[in-house]
Amino acid sequence: MTVARPIAVPVPPRRRWGLLLGVALVTGVIAWLALGGIGDALVYYQTPTELLARGEEAIGQQVRLGGLVQAGSLSGPATDLRFVVTDGTHEITVHSTSAPTSSFREGVGVVVEGRLSGDGTFEASRVLVKHDENYVAPSEGEVPSHIPDGG
Amino acid sequence: MIPTLGHAAVLVGLAATIFAAAAFLLGARRGDAALALLGRRAMTTAFALALLACAAMVVSLLTHDFSVRYVARNNATTTPPFYSFISLWAALEGSILFWTLLASGWAALVLHRFRHRLPALMPWVGLVLAIGLAFFFAVMAWPGDPFVRTTPVGLEGNGPNALLQNHPFMGLHPPLLYLGYTGMAVPFAFGMAALITRRTDEAWLGIVRRWTLVPWIFLTAGIVAGAWWSYEVLGWGGYWAWDPVENAALLPWLTATAFIHSSMVAERRGTLRVWTHALVIATFVLTLVGTFLTRSGVVESVHSFTASAIGPWFAGAILVALVGSLGLLVWRLPELGDTRPPGQPVSREGAFLFNNVLFLGITFVVLFGTLYPMLREATSGERVSLGAPWFNGVNAPILVALLFLMGVGPALPWGGAAWRTMRDRFALPLVAAALTAGGSWLAGLREAAPLVAIAMAAFVVTIMGEEVVRGARARGRARGEAPPLAAWRLATRNRRRYGGYVVHLGIAVMAVAVAVSATLSSDVTATVSPGERVTIGAYTVTHERVVTERLAADPRVVETRAELTLAGPQSGPLAPALRDYPNSSTLIATPAVRTAAGEDLYVTLLAHDPASGEVTLHVFVNPLVVWIWIGGGIVALGAVFAAWPDRRRASASARVEAPAESPAVASARLATGGSPDA
Repeated sequence: MTVARPIAVPVPPRRRWGLLLGVALVTGVIAWLALGGIGDALVYYQTPTELLARGEEAIGQQVRLGGLVQAGSLSGPATDLRFVVTDGTHEITVHSTSAPTSSFREGVGVVVEGRLSGDGTFEASRVLVKHDENYVAPSEGEVPSHIPDGG
Repeated sequence: MIPTLGHAAVLVGLAATIFAAAAFLLGARRGDAALALLGRRAMTTAFALALLACAAMVVSLLTHDFSVRYVARNNATTTPPFYSFISLWAALEGSILFWTLLASGWAALVLHRFRHRLPALMPWVGLVLAIGLAFFFAVMAWPGDPFVRTTPVGLEGNGPNALLQNHPFMGLHPPLLYLGYTGMAVPFAFGMAALITRRTDEAWLGIVRRWTLVPWIFLTAGIVAGAWWSYEVLGWGGYWAWDPVENAALLPWLTATAFIHSSMVAERRGTLRVWTHALVIATFVLTLVGTFLTRSGVVESVHSFTASAIGPWFAGAILVALVGSLGLLVWRLPELGDTRPPGQPVSREGAFLFNNVLFLGITFVVLFGTLYPMLREATSGERVSLGAPWFNGVNAPILVALLFLMGVGPALPWGGAAWRTMRDRFALPLVAAALTAGGSWLAGLREAAPLVAIAMAAFVVTIMGEEVVRGARARGRARGEAPPLAAWRLATRNRRRYGGYVVHLGIAVMAVAVAVSATLSSDVTATVSPGERVTIGAYTVTHERVVTERLAADPRVVETRAELTLAGPQSGPLAPALRDYPNSSTLIATPAVRTAAGEDLYVTLLAHDPASGEVTLHVFVNPLVVWIWIGGGIVALGAVFAAWPDRRRASASARVEAPAESPAVASARLATGGSPDA
């Protein structure tokens, strides 16, 4: 391996400061970029109970609403959909004009991104289905839950 | 029987690695080559045992042995053999087993390659690798035992995770990523050994750079393959969502990339040595952090496996690695020479320094964004998320600055540049950048991000082209070679430099493709009856019919397919599908993707009505996406070219190192019948 010997070049102090100043400037800009806009970028994740508990203040604020799609609450076509999201104690009616992902159906866990409107309906901009609860392994000693019915 | 064999292999593997660690420690302290040899053999044994354990798991999966809990949870009698095989790494315990196999493979390989070199250093390298490996064997012996049995034994298993059995890419992307992750232990071990033995001169840098570059290639390929998998499988039309597990793969890649650059300054100028050591440490620790984040359930992610008992073990390992390595670094600080920043801002080393600051900047931004929601929840109980727009917004300017440096860095001379040189070197590239951006603007491109990316790519490519032409001309004149031959000889004699150019070319291609596809893609969602059509851009998608049937390969899976006809710049049949896996509560989308050089047409089936035959389709036109994968391939090829062993250089280093061999090692070699340059 051809290794060049380190060349000791004396660096004038003023230039060294220039470099340090450049590094400090770059670091500062990155920190400003990262922290400056973070307040607007944060999206709160709340259940219907938590969202309703905030009352008037929650209206119009971008949040992620998490819960289950209540059985029997689904109505309308995929691009003008109404359904109820529940956490067991409170319910919120969701209206979505963008079709949810393929796996959307009654009873699944969803995360709905959008805003609560003045009339109490949650206007969704995006409906995400929480993927596959089965990914979480069963507890110790549990036998596989799914035994196929001869299909 | 076979699972018992696998479990036994894990336990003996743990014993072998502990034994190896003890032998390396004693051998290093006493300078006893026989002990070091013993340690090396124990490490080879550990690799063989990890291979045996993996084989036992694969056999258990292929034979559907549901007495093993891992098999019962991740396999079914109907699982096709290919997906049974790759289930080895599709869930928590198996992935740790597979990780251990790859880590022990790297360790055995590096100890074998260096068996006749660096006798004072290698036992310490072996010690660090043995301790790391012992940790993984211990995880498998206690909290993450892959061979735990279940009773009663079910007749049928749960089947593999639906998302992970949907695409053959699952067989490619995790092994590549894991090869990258596990390989980063090697440079870390060399770094630690160099600090312990006080051999922190430039010699270790050359070794560590090569042994970082090789896992870096796998990590790069793994990240790109992962993005591709995400694009082909997840059905949301994109390839990168700043998901914690994606970030976990990106973090060590960023610090390793920073290291590859800063090591050149450290080697050339003798500065930045502490910094370079710190990057090697950071890269290794970040691979552990990534595993911790995605395997312990502390962050929510599409990839997160079960919340398991291995979390605290990994947290402990991260703490030990971090405290141990940083402690050692601080202890050796006085011997690492000066730490002053090198030279002038406008010089090659200045460019490298800013490159490092920017790479570290992205690392911190990504780490912060990944951890912030978790920290926020821990402190205030509020659950928040930082979305992709934040990551994109913060990182885009940093990436543009990096692209700029990618152009100027290689063209700036070491030490500092005179105004004349700069004018000569940058005039043409700047003109090229202005012309391509202006041309794109005139052609109707109005988005800022792709305009900037195109200008930067033109700048970078022109600079590299100038460099290659200048070098080839000079060589051709001096030796009377034709320009293409001169260029090839020049490149093969300076693999690092010209391989680096190819890598940069690939990055420039990817940058343009990412910027264009991120800002110029269009999509439409529509519900259509059979015979109706959806139009987007120049394309027409006609809905023909819906077919529902069981998959031939796995009859437990019911597929609903929308059979469509595509007309436009690309045409032919398309069949996006929804698959109903018995072990998944949700349907899994299988998008149909039609790829061309200019743009992809990407269709996801969102919903269907069995009664009317109506389907809801999400149709995307994604420009230039294929160039992201092509760019990734160019990056990998360039890095392979740079890392390719140079015959001249290898024999030269063998000559240099031969006299350093101690009599003890020589006798050990004679005893084992080894030859010095195998």
